[in-house]
Amino acid sequence: MSFTLNLSFSDLLLLLPEILLTCWLCVVITVDFASPRLPKERLAYLSVAGLLVTLGCLAWFDVNHVTGTLFGDMFVLDRMAIFFKIFVLASTILVILSSIQYVNRFTLFRGEYYVLVIMSALGMMFMASSNDLLSVFVSLEFSTLGFYILVSYLRDDLASNEAGLKFFILGVFAAGLFAYGISLVYGETGKLVFSDMASAPATPGLIIGFLLIFAALGFKIGAVPFHSWIPDTYHGAPTPVTAFLSIAPKGAALAILLRIFLVALGAFKPTWIYLLVVVSIVSMTYGNIVAIAQKNIKRLLAYSGIAQIGNVLIGLAAGTKMGSDAILFYLLAYLFANIGAFAVVIAVSHAIGRDEIEDYRGLGRRSPFLAFAMLLFLLSLAGVPPLAGFIGKLYIFVAAIKEGLYTLITVGLINIVISMYYYLIVVKQMYINEPTDPSPISISGPMRAVIYVGLAGTLVIGVYPQPFTDWVVAATVMFANFVAPSALAIPPNPLVGS
Amino acid sequence: MGEYALLYILFAPFVGALALIFVSNRQPLLVRSIAASAAFVSLIASLYIFYGYDPGQGGFQFVQKYEWSRQLGIALYLGVDGIATPLVLASSILLFAGIFVSWHIKDRAKEFYIWLLILAAATIGVFMSLDLFFLYFFYEMSVIPMYLLLGMWGSHTKKYLEMTDPEGLKQRDSVGFIFNFASNSKEYAAMKLVLFLSAFAVVALMGILLIYKFSGLNTFDILVLREQAKLMNIPVLGTTLDKIIWVLVFFGFASIAPLWPLHSWSPVGHAAAPAATSMLHAGVLMKLGHFSIIRVAFEILPETTRELMPIAAVLCMFSIIYGGFVAFYAKDTKYVIGYSSSSHMGYVFLGMAALNYISLSGAVIYMFAHAMATGMLFAMAGWVYDQTHSRDIPSLGGLSNKMPFVSACFIVACMASIGMPGTVNFIAEIMIIVGSWNKYPIQVIVAMLGIVLTLAYLFKMMRGLFYGPMNQKYSHAHDAVSTVDRLPLLMMIIISIGFGIFPMHLYDVVRSGVDPLVARITQVVPVARTGEGFGVKGEAAVTEQPSIPMVANKPIPRLSEISRGGRE
Repeated sequence: MSFTLNLSFSDLLLLLPEILLTCWLCVVITVDFASPRLPKERLAYLSVAGLLVTLGCLAWFDVNHVTGTLFGDMFVLDRMAIFFKIFVLASTILVILSSIQYVNRFTLFRGEYYVLVIMSALGMMFMASSNDLLSVFVSLEFSTLGFYILVSYLRDDLASNEAGLKFFILGVFAAGLFAYGISLVYGETGKLVFSDMASAPATPGLIIGFLLIFAALGFKIGAVPFHSWIPDTYHGAPTPVTAFLSIAPKGAALAILLRIFLVALGAFKPTWIYLLVVVSIVSMTYGNIVAIAQKNIKRLLAYSGIAQIGNVLIGLAAGTKMGSDAILFYLLAYLFANIGAFAVVIAVSHAIGRDEIEDYRGLGRRSPFLAFAMLLFLLSLAGVPPLAGFIGKLYIFVAAIKEGLYTLITVGLINIVISMYYYLIVVKQMYINEPTDPSPISISGPMRAVIYVGLAGTLVIGVYPQPFTDWVVAATVMFANFVAPSALAIPPNPLVGS
Repeated sequence: MGEYALLYILFAPFVGALALIFVSNRQPLLVRSIAASAAFVSLIASLYIFYGYDPGQGGFQFVQKYEWSRQLGIALYLGVDGIATPLVLASSILLFAGIFVSWHIKDRAKEFYIWLLILAAATIGVFMSLDLFFLYFFYEMSVIPMYLLLGMWGSHTKKYLEMTDPEGLKQRDSVGFIFNFASNSKEYAAMKLVLFLSAFAVVALMGILLIYKFSGLNTFDILVLREQAKLMNIPVLGTTLDKIIWVLVFFGFASIAPLWPLHSWSPVGHAAAPAATSMLHAGVLMKLGHFSIIRVAFEILPETTRELMPIAAVLCMFSIIYGGFVAFYAKDTKYVIGYSSSSHMGYVFLGMAALNYISLSGAVIYMFAHAMATGMLFAMAGWVYDQTHSRDIPSLGGLSNKMPFVSACFIVACMASIGMPGTVNFIAEIMIIVGSWNKYPIQVIVAMLGIVLTLAYLFKMMRGLFYGPMNQKYSHAHDAVSTVDRLPLLMMIIISIGFGIFPMHLYDVVRSGVDPLVARITQVVPVARTGEGFGVKGEAAVTEQPSIPMVANKPIPRLSEISRGGRE
C-alpha cells in the first residue's frame, strides 16, 4: 500500500468537521484554563455552539452530497459516515445539555468534563468514517479513552470507580482481542481496507480473526455474551455519561459492523447469518428477561439496551440494504427515546437524589410533564404505535421477513411483549401508585429542552417517518453494490397505489 | 365536510386530546367542553357518513389516501364499507356518551379525557383502515390507553380495599402485587389486559408480515392484497401457508373479541375499568377483533376462511354457555356485564361462522346493537358504583326508590340485551339465528339457551340492585337528574329502539358491505380446479354472475325476506 500525503485543499474539506471539532476542543480547553472563574455552564454552551457548527457543516455535506476517500481509503466520507457523524453529534449535544446541572456533583475537573465528552465524540466521528481495520482500531481506542475517564468521574463514589475499573479492564481486553483479530486478518489476506477483502477466500485464520473482531465490537455495542460490563458500568457511571455510553458508541460501532459484514464479508453471508441470529436471539431474550428483575432504573435501561441491540442485530442478520436502512432508522428512534429517558432519570435523580424504580412513585402527580415524557420514551422503547420505536421495530421486521428469518422475527415479537411488562412496571409506579412525598419536581431549562427534543423526535418520527426513511435509504446507498440483487430495491409495482 | 368526513371523525378526538394538554385541570368546565366538542364533531361526522353512505353503490366510500412510507409500501388509506360504517357510528356515539358518563370525574379529569379520546380515536382508526399496517397501528395504539385508564381511574374489588393495614398497604404498592391474582386488583387487571392483548396482537402481526412477504407486492394495501395476493397452496410445515396465516390472524384478533379460551382478560378488565372506559371497551374495543378478522382473514383469504371458519363455530358455543353461566353466578355487577359481553360476542362469531348473507349481516348489526346495549348497562353500573362505591350485588338492593330513572333505563337496557322485539338487538339476533340454522343447528340451540341465560342473569342482577330490601348504608344515593347525566342514557336508548323500529337504512348499509364479501367467500373458484391464482379470477367470476343478490343489482331486499334468505 503506497501512502502519499499530498493533501489538497479539497481533500481537507472532507475532514472539515473533524478539524472544526478539534479546533473547538482546543478553544474550550483554553477558555477553561484561561478563566477558571467562568461558570461551567457557559463552557457547556460554548461546547454546544461548536458542536452545532460542526453539525451544520455535516448537514451541508449531506445536502450537497460531498463524498470521497482519503489516506489510501483509510478514511471514507460517504453518506452513511455523514449519517453516523450527525447521529454522534446530536447525541453529544443532548448529553452536554443534560449534564449542565449534573456537573455540579463532580468535585474536580468540571471543565475538563466537556472536553472529554467532545473528545470521545471526535473519536466516534472518526469511527464512522474509518474504512480499514487500522483506522477502526485507532479511532475506537481514541473514543474509548475518553469514556474510561468519564465513567469514573464521580471520584468519591465507589460505584463509579468500580464501574470505571470494570469498563477499563474489559475494554482493554476487548482492544487486545481486536488487535489480535486484525493481525490474523492481515496475515491471511494482506489487506486492511474492507472493500479489498471482499474477494478473500475463507481460511480458518480469517474466520477466527473476524470472530475476534466481532467479539470486540460486540463488547462496544453490548451484545450478549459480551455484555457483562454493561449493567455495572451503566449503574455506576454519572448518568449523563451513561446516556452517552448507551447511544453514541453503539451507533459508531454499528457503522463499523455494517461495513465489515456487508462490505468485507458480504460473500460469506450464509455463514455469518447463523452467528448473528444466535447473538441476536440471546441478546434480546437475556436482556428482556433480566430487565424484569431490576430495581434500579439505570440498570433497567441498561438491560433494555442489551435487548434493543438484539433487535438491531436482526437487521444486520438480514444482511440486505433494507436491513441496513432499518438499522439506521432504528438507531434514530432509539437515540431520541433513550436519551430522553435518561434525561428524565437525571432530572428525577437531581430532585430526589436516587434512581431506584421505587423513587418514581407518583411521578405523574409530582411532575406531570416528566411522567408523560418518560411514558412516551418507555413506550417508544417498547415499540408501541404511534411512536418512533414502533416504526423502527416494524422496519427491522419487514427487512428480516423479506430474507425469511422467521425464527428471529418470532423471538423478536415475543420479546416485545416481555419488554412491555417491565416498562409498564415503571409506568405503574409513575401513574398508579400515590407519591410518598408529593412535593413537585422542578426541571432546569436545558433539561427541559433535551426532553422536548426527545419528545419531538419520538413523535415526529413515529407519525411522519417518510423524510427519515428517505434519509436512511439515501445514506446506505453504497451497500447496493455489495448485497444480493434480490434485495436491492423495491421492485416497481404499477398496481401499488392505483 | 363531504369527502373529508373520515378525517374529521378520526382526527377530531386526537386534536381534542392535543388541545387538552394545554389546558389546566383547574378549569374543569373548559376541559369537559373541549372533550365533549371533540367527540361531538366526531359524532356529527359519523352520522353524516352513516346517512351519506350509499348502499346502492356499495364498496368503500369516503376514501382518503395519503402516502406514508414509500419504502415499506404503507399509505394512510381510509375508507368505510357497509361493515365499518355502523361500527364507526357506534364508536363515536359511545365516545360522546362516555364523556358525559364520566362528567363527574374529579381526579385528573384532563388526563382522563386525553386517554379516553385517544382510545376512541384509535378504535375508530381500526374501523376505517384499508391498510394492514394502519389497522395494526391503531389496534395496538388502542391497547395502551386502556392500561392507564384502568390503572389510574379504575375501581377496586372488595378484597383489595380490605388491605388497609400497613402490611397490606405495602403489599398493595409493591411491584409484585400484579401477580397477586386472587386480589383481582386494578393493577392486575390493567397489566393482564395489556400483556394479553399485546401478546396476541403480535401473533396477528406475524400473520400480517407473512401476508406481506408471500404476496411479494411490497404493499400493506388490503384492496391490492385481496385482489392480487397469491397465498394459496404454498406447502409449509406439513400444511399450507394460507392456513398458518389464517390461524395466526384469526386467533391473534379473536383474543380481543374475546373468543372462549382467550377471554380471561376481558371480564377482569371490564370490572376494573371506570364506566366510560368499560363502555368503550365492551362496546367497541371488543368488536375490533371481529372486525379485524373480517377485514384481514375474510377479505384476503376467503377460501381458507370457508375451510377453517368451523373452528369459530365450535368455540363460540363455549363462549356463549360459559360466559352465561359465569355471569349467572357472579356477585359483582361489572363481572356480570363483562361476562355477558363475552357471552354475547359468541353470537357474533356464530353469525360470522355460518358465512351467509343473513347471518353475517346479523353479526354486523349485532355488533352495533350490542355496543348500545352494553354501553347502557355499563353506564348504569358505573352510576350505581359512583353513588354507592360498591359493585357487590348482595350488599346492594332497593335502589329503585332512590334512582327511579336509572332503574327504568336499566330495564330498557336489559330488554335490549336480551333482544326484545322493538330493539335493534332483536333484529340482529333473529338474523343470526335464522341465518345459521341450516349450517349449525346445534350452535343455534345453544344460542337460544344463551338467550334464556341472559334473561336469567340480567333479571337476577336487576332484582339484586334495584328491588328487594334497601341497604340503609346507601340511603344517600341519588338519581340521575341533570341533563348531563340523563343525556347519554337517553341517547343510547333512543338509538337502540329507533333502529329497532326503523332498521331499513342500517340493514341496507350492512348488506351492501356483507354481500360482496360473502359472494367472494362462497363463490370463489377453487384453486385446485383452475390451477392458478384464485384472486383476480374469483373476483371476475363474481362480478359476472347476475344470480348473486347484490344490493347494487337488484331491489333492496325487504326485512320480510329474511326468512327466505335464510333458506339460501
